[in-house]
Amino acid sequence: MHNFHYFPTSESDIKRLYSILNIKSKKELFQKIIGDIPLIDANNLKMLSGGIDELSLFSYFYDVALSLPDKNKFSIFAGGGVYNHFVPAVIDSLISRSEFYTPYTPYQPEVSQGTLFALFEFQSMMAEILGMDVVNASMYDGAESLAEAILMSLRLYLNANSDYSPRQGQQVQNNYSSDEINPHSNHLILVSEGVNPNYLSVVKSFVNNIKAKIKIVKLNKKTGQTNLNDLKLKLSAGVSTVVIQQPNYFGIIEDLEELEEVIHGFNPMPFFVVSGAEPFSFGVINPPGYHNADIFAGEGNSFGNYMNFGGPLLGIFGAKSEYIRQMPGRIVGKTKDAKNKDAYTFILATREQHIRRGAATSNICTNNSLNAVRAAIYLSLCSKLGFKELSLLNLKLAHILHEKLLKTGLFEEWFSGDFFNEFTLRIKNKKVSAVQFINGMADRGILAGIQIAEDGILVSATESNSTCDIERYAENAKDIIKTAV
Amino acid sequence: MGNFPGISGLFFDEDLLIRQSSKGVYGISIPDCGLKDFELKKTSADYINKKFARKNDPGLPEVSEPTVVRHFIRLSSWNMCVDSTFYPLGSCTMKYNPKINELISSLGNIKGLHPLTPIHLVQPALKIIYDFNLILCELTGLDEFSFSPQAGAAGEFTGLKVIKKYFDIRGEKRHIILIPDSAHGTNPASSALTGFTPVEIKTGANGYIEAKDIERHLSKDVAAIMITNPNTLGIFESDIKKISEIIHKNGSLVYMDGANFNAFIGNVKVLDMDIDLIQLNLHKTFSTPHGGGGPGSGAVGVRGFLKDYLPIPYVSFNEGIYNISEDKKYTIGRIAPFLCNFGVLLKAYAYLLSLGKDNIASVSEIAILNANYVKKRLGKILDGADPFEDRLCMHECVFTDKAIEDHGISTIEFAKLLIDYGFHPPTVYFPKNIHGAIMIEPTETESIKTINEFLKAICKIRFKTKKSAALKSPRKTKVKRVNEVLANKYPVFKY
Repeated sequence: MHNFHYFPTSESDIKRLYSILNIKSKKELFQKIIGDIPLIDANNLKMLSGGIDELSLFSYFYDVALSLPDKNKFSIFAGGGVYNHFVPAVIDSLISRSEFYTPYTPYQPEVSQGTLFALFEFQSMMAEILGMDVVNASMYDGAESLAEAILMSLRLYLNANSDYSPRQGQQVQNNYSSDEINPHSNHLILVSEGVNPNYLSVVKSFVNNIKAKIKIVKLNKKTGQTNLNDLKLKLSAGVSTVVIQQPNYFGIIEDLEELEEVIHGFNPMPFFVVSGAEPFSFGVINPPGYHNADIFAGEGNSFGNYMNFGGPLLGIFGAKSEYIRQMPGRIVGKTKDAKNKDAYTFILATREQHIRRGAATSNICTNNSLNAVRAAIYLSLCSKLGFKELSLLNLKLAHILHEKLLKTGLFEEWFSGDFFNEFTLRIKNKKVSAVQFINGMADRGILAGIQIAEDGILVSATESNSTCDIERYAENAKDIIKTAV
Repeated sequence: MGNFPGISGLFFDEDLLIRQSSKGVYGISIPDCGLKDFELKKTSADYINKKFARKNDPGLPEVSEPTVVRHFIRLSSWNMCVDSTFYPLGSCTMKYNPKINELISSLGNIKGLHPLTPIHLVQPALKIIYDFNLILCELTGLDEFSFSPQAGAAGEFTGLKVIKKYFDIRGEKRHIILIPDSAHGTNPASSALTGFTPVEIKTGANGYIEAKDIERHLSKDVAAIMITNPNTLGIFESDIKKISEIIHKNGSLVYMDGANFNAFIGNVKVLDMDIDLIQLNLHKTFSTPHGGGGPGSGAVGVRGFLKDYLPIPYVSFNEGIYNISEDKKYTIGRIAPFLCNFGVLLKAYAYLLSLGKDNIASVSEIAILNANYVKKRLGKILDGADPFEDRLCMHECVFTDKAIEDHGISTIEFAKLLIDYGFHPPTVYFPKNIHGAIMIEPTETESIKTINEFLKAICKIRFKTKKSAALKSPRKTKVKRVNEVLANKYPVFKY
């Protein structure tokens, strides 16, 4: 064996190990363990080349990076659940500390106070921003977080409206096997049409094992807000959950106050779950906690994280404190050490899979902790005023873009409702489809948005877009749409 | 204790940032986006209905950039990590995380890629996902991997949903998943989440599930066995082929939890154990850092007959063009909002390219040698504590608390004592079928010298440590023994 730089064991070390174990060869070692299962010869692998040295490896990936859109020249006006926010250098610098990115989950609190403390601050700051009582230490992404929120609401609903009594001493859980009457089969989850369609797909994947049904509440065709009348029409006994996204997938700000009144006014009371993909909005608009949301489950990637081609992201999960014992995932709590000094540790672990196994509130173990620490650093940097300022800047830029694009005469408004940093437009020229427009713009270095219909696009702006970029968007749009034949 | 890495250290104390606030201060440089003066002066009321406007600002800290930097640097110094010390957490595969892979994944054009960028501009990224799939298929013998699952438990969930759907399509109602008692808690939790009933099977005296014990659990209700191999005792499931045969004869499927794939990589194809599907934890075997609790990636691989059940979307390749496709006949649907945890996958892919076919087999070989070295030496130090004394282990080994208990020290005290010597404790009290379990996984990236220091520390604990000292440990850490009872009695979860 030749040297490989990740292995500290020399050829003679290996020989020594074999001799200590009284084994002659690799063949014998494996044979003693795995018996007649054949050993493969890695040298015959066809999909893997010989090892690549570090310099060559880097230039290989450097070339890959060069053949992707140039980050510094490509203007991104697409959101749809992931937003192109500026990430200050401090975050990469701090996160590159091995002490943050190379430990495991903090099972031994005495040697993991750094991560635990940072997560405690993350939970605290997110709780402030969302107006929720308690936020956990992260989920995978907005979609999975929402799916788990719906499962939690079903458990809560069952607890609150119980003709169904779980077996003695048993807690309401996620699972009802075939030998029991499924208590969720009469339950209905109402999901606003304004929820991100990818989130809805993930929710369906989670919920279809439970037999609860999902119904869509339509949007008001004019404003783009959830249609209150349709909601009232669909509220019925057995509705466990109503899900509203704020701002919704089309960027429209929902009237949570009005919705909450209808939802919580219904008897038996459904749980009010608010989702969201752009938490920056809560620097300007009222957060879900101010409108008595029972659970918030959404995306937090906008805070100090990169888009990473869609992952990893940062799932946010918050709830009212009375529901804390039904929450999924890790929660960091403050306590004391043996010398009566402040210390941090995971709390209420009896909810979790490693203690409760099959009856846990969720199967989640590894979450997206490092992304949460990034968010904690980011929000600390933003501080109170910076957060508000950035949020307002997003609002303004999106409205400047909106106005500019409407003024070209090439687009018309799709929905009229108030929006934060994302909005929808219809391309008036029938000769140009949304896909053609987006591809054409992309070839000119502008990611113009996301297709939402044959002739409809979803466009966003963040503080990464300057008014020059906005100008360039409008000019190129004119070029493409006007010259279309 | 000069021979051990844990000597002493000056810790900086640090308060919550919210308590370091100065009114009006903030630490971010807000981009000048070129707004005109009149636009700068506008407020939210100029754009949106007043009733939506937030009146109270969230209670964030008010601190500058240097304050934030010092704060988090101080926090970081309170963590042990695999870059600073031996971190032999069993079943977690805390191997070295190559720095070059961090650099690659942080290239601006890669980390700044929007997931909904038109396909023709992201071909090189899609090619990486496609090629990575081919390599994993060859390494395992399976036919296709899905990269939707964001971590190990999500991989289990995905695999179990595939099983569920497979039987649904066949019109069979099977609701039981057989799970060994040594399994990780996520196995039964994922089963429950998928609507299955987990049924526990007992590990045999030799540390593996015996085929004859499977028989009595079989019925037409059994959908699958979910078997971690090597299991969390570090023992190879010797009857795996027989078990697979029995399970298949029953019309059921074999799901292998591949969290411990580090024991096989490059030397054994899991398909040769006749399994049907597996999840691989890229943040374990494939060297991507665990991040203090994630992010990870739990790629799920299946045999050909299950390909059509995998999640969407996936990367396809046709006539020279990579595409993001959704055309799977029986797909279980979407598991994640976008394609995959690309930032994690990329590091795993770079890791495999670095190793290449000439080094990849050494990973599992050295991992197994190291674990057996620990097992053999520690078996003597902790006499009578190795439950599988006459067997070779694979990537990790497990001990009971017998030897230390005889000396008056509990497993938790043992763990805390190790900290003062400068080592991260092994996994403790897991698996639950081993009394006071101590589970050690050294991985292939630790030297014999490091392992020897670790063993010497255990020797000191075993023979020289008084109960009174054990109760007070750890003594050298930033905080002393953390009061977990208090933490749960009066939960404080925010400032």
